[in-house]
Amino acid sequence: MSSKPLPGKDNFTRNLVIAVVVGVILLMLVPTVISKQTKSSARIPASVSASDGYGIVFNGDLKGVPVVDIYEDFQCPVCARFEATQGNYIESLIKEKKAKVVYHTLSFLGPESIAAANAAACAADEGKFLQFHMALYVNQPKENSGAWSNSALAAVGQVAGIKSQKFSTCVNGGKYADWVNNVAAEGAKKNVNSTPTVFINGKEIDRKSEYFDRANFEAAIARG
Amino acid sequence: MKQYQPKDYQPWLALIARLILGGVLLAAGLLKYKHLDKSQMAVRAYELLPIPLANFSGVVLPFFEIAIGILLILGAAIRISAFLGGGLMILFTIGIAQAWARGLSIDCGCFGGGGQVEPGTANYLPEILRDLGLAILGIYLFRFPQSKFGLDKNTTGKEKIDEQ
Repeated sequence: MSSKPLPGKDNFTRNLVIAVVVGVILLMLVPTVISKQTKSSARIPASVSASDGYGIVFNGDLKGVPVVDIYEDFQCPVCARFEATQGNYIESLIKEKKAKVVYHTLSFLGPESIAAANAAACAADEGKFLQFHMALYVNQPKENSGAWSNSALAAVGQVAGIKSQKFSTCVNGGKYADWVNNVAAEGAKKNVNSTPTVFINGKEIDRKSEYFDRANFEAAIARG
Repeated sequence: MKQYQPKDYQPWLALIARLILGGVLLAAGLLKYKHLDKSQMAVRAYELLPIPLANFSGVVLPFFEIAIGILLILGAAIRISAFLGGGLMILFTIGIAQAWARGLSIDCGCFGGGGQVEPGTANYLPEILRDLGLAILGIYLFRFPQSKFGLDKNTTGKEKIDEQ
């Protein structure tokens, strides 16, 4: 990286500046690259399976049913629209044991997405993931407006019927922050480039016609 | 000492080129640096690189842009920085052009953002023209690196490329 100074020219300041800039950037870059890897030591909620990309799994033991992978970010407005259109149907698939459903809570929109995903994992521990999931979308604020503080997320939990002290401790402590990172890392490996993204049996459904049309979505599930 | 006498206006032109190219790189890097998941997504959406390499590039790129941007603004290692910065712009141009040619609908992710967008809303031509313009600034600085208010003192314009 260094060019030789001509004899008699003092390039000390310049070389020092170059060394400092390159050094500082490398010092910041290396830990960042490492932190983006999947951490096998991360605490994970009970309903999460590492082999399902660290998603929150429903009906994991069912065989011979379609597998629905949903990649979403709780702050993404289009995800709220997807939830409003298909949410009830997906929940009925889960309740009637007609599909294995895996929720991947991505967090690329920023810190409040991470906080919301962490809180959703805490809700999963209380067996209230679906209720909390719906409550988040119904109350979705503007992106990173500061509305989804940990205490606000704990209050959303109350709306979803979660009363326990353990839940608010989990939310406030960011218990599953490393898990949120793992979900993101696994989603990146699966080449998920927008939210929501839905895979049925590992294949993405048609973006133009099947996301926001109930009949087409049901047909896509039935097709498997 | 001086083997090559630049025209009077050239060091000023180089200063402007440095500030524009460096400023754009620094701004682009800083905007992406806070949202690295999104940055990875933006690189993947070009469908050029294998997924693991795209994810790695998505993390490294913002840091790389910030470093080159700072060096260009300060005027340190101008030729190398201009070579790397201009080269990056040429790569971006190729990336956007191939996305356009293949009919992908993506956000270029140049200043944050990125990923797939609704078909028909992608806007490739202005992005290509902007990156080409910045690439030309990089080429100019590589050829005529002597400039006002820089830390480099030994840029005579006669240096050989083999320094790299």
